[in-house]
Amino acid sequence: MNGWTLAGTSFLASAVEAVEALTIVLAVGVTRSWPVALRGTAFALLVLGLIVALFGPLLHLVPIDQLKLVVGIVLTLFGLAWLRKAILRYTGRKALHDEDAAYAREVSALRAAEEAQADRIGLVTAFKAVLIEGLEVAIIVVTFGAASSAALGWSAAGAGAAVLLVIALGLALKQPASRVPENAMKFVVGIMLTSFGTFWTGEGLGIAWWGADLSLLLLAAFYLAVSAALVAAARVRGRVPA
Amino acid sequence: MSLAAIWEFIAGDSRRAPLAVALAVAVAVVLLRNSVPSTVVATAFAGIIALGLAASVFEAR
Repeated sequence: MNGWTLAGTSFLASAVEAVEALTIVLAVGVTRSWPVALRGTAFALLVLGLIVALFGPLLHLVPIDQLKLVVGIVLTLFGLAWLRKAILRYTGRKALHDEDAAYAREVSALRAAEEAQADRIGLVTAFKAVLIEGLEVAIIVVTFGAASSAALGWSAAGAGAAVLLVIALGLALKQPASRVPENAMKFVVGIMLTSFGTFWTGEGLGIAWWGADLSLLLLAAFYLAVSAALVAAARVRGRVPA
Repeated sequence: MSLAAIWEFIAGDSRRAPLAVALAVAVAVVLLRNSVPSTVVATAFAGIIALGLAASVFEAR
């Protein structure tokens, strides 16, 4: 493989991983807050930098499948909870805005505690996503660049360009994503988290997904169809007198 | 922050959705150990999770 081919391959493989991390960071940023998402990202990059600096040549020994299994299960549970809440809100079984509920003072105190907790979980979610995908990028760089120091340079350059491009994409998407209505965003984020969670848990268990990362799109389409059917079914069921 | 609070925040107030995820993992492990093709395992895995979502939407709260 010549230098440009090596850099191109590393670029494409790293771009896929970086987009996966960006999706989660965007989700946390839009539904929680950008400082929380960026703090989680910054912590992950710091830890990643330390891991690469200390254990660079040993990166292929990281138990990435076990890590994916644990993170995948948490993401699936998190995604299902959000998706369920968004579906119930669309069907009118749950108020669109919790602040409309009675006992506003108690509710707002509860929400404040929930917000603080949510921020911590949001931070951990962004942290884990960036750490896992970052580790995969690092492993790609080390694997493709194993042949020589020149190969390592080409591989790192390709991966670096991919990460920079995806960061620019994230900055461009930040504002448009913030304007989407809250429940629609939670619905979409629920689908994304459930899809990533299913995919990662499956990979951690040893499932070889059809089309590799491409099956993420199939999973998202599948959960979107199921959720849309559930919204329709729950609305119909809601009209039937008990 | 208690473990129960963390669990409730991650999994919400549904009991059926976490059970479905646990069932999906267990079924996938059994199928993979019996050399069932990955496509079949993947379909069953995502299908059980989707059924868990459906069950949780109609869960009495």
